[in-house]
Amino acid sequence: MATQADRITAPAPSWGWFLQAITGLALVVLLAVHMVAQHFVAAHGLRDYAEVVAYLRNPLVTAIELLFLVTVTTHALLGVRAIVFDFGLSDPAEKRVTWALWGVGVLTVGYGVWLTWTIIR
Amino acid sequence: MAMAQDSKLKRAAHWADVRGRGLGMWAYVLNRVTGIGLVVYLYIHLVVLSMLTGGPAAWDPFIKVVRSPLFLGLDVVLISGWLIHGLNGLRVTLTGVGLGVRAQKAMFVGFMALAAIGIVAMALLVFRS
Repeated sequence: MATQADRITAPAPSWGWFLQAITGLALVVLLAVHMVAQHFVAAHGLRDYAEVVAYLRNPLVTAIELLFLVTVTTHALLGVRAIVFDFGLSDPAEKRVTWALWGVGVLTVGYGVWLTWTIIR
Repeated sequence: MAMAQDSKLKRAAHWADVRGRGLGMWAYVLNRVTGIGLVVYLYIHLVVLSMLTGGPAAWDPFIKVVRSPLFLGLDVVLISGWLIHGLNGLRVTLTGVGLGVRAQKAMFVGFMALAAIGIVAMALLVFRS
């Protein structure tokens, strides 16, 4: 008999599920890089303002941090989407939620890009 | 149980009720709880980083505060969330593509043991530095 847990651990493949898995795997690497670079290389685990600016001005660091931001935002909002869909929404309502979360995601990444630019320019 | 008569909110909260459920349901709830916590942290983190726009006068005193033992403890909570969510997610991904489906309970226990070891190791690292 298929229990609830069986269905959850073997979900029907959907683009959301694949994207969640791929971004999740990417996050293992990106989060590790983010943590080691931000907190284990820096003295006392954190940088003062001058050190943050100098660090973020390295183009490779900027690129990795922005890739991390896009990946983590995608993964987080796909997770929120899955939780919201558990309310048992109608198809049009699910579409509206997806569009709204796209909006949140674009705003989140836009904010991150703006913040990074403000700091390093 | 009359699920159809339940309110939407009650149905949506249904997953959080782990009473009488198996190990798989615990794994699922654990992933959701850590996931929600990590989303909340992500946005707190992004808002806090806006202090960088205030320059050294805004940022540097804050750095002193977050080096306190209280914040280091919160860092360990955060790292615990990553380890539990990440290892659980890896298990979900593996079983989702058909790997280790029969061994998923053992995999869950093994991964969570790994998470526990990782949490202790990271706590030692955080408080030693």
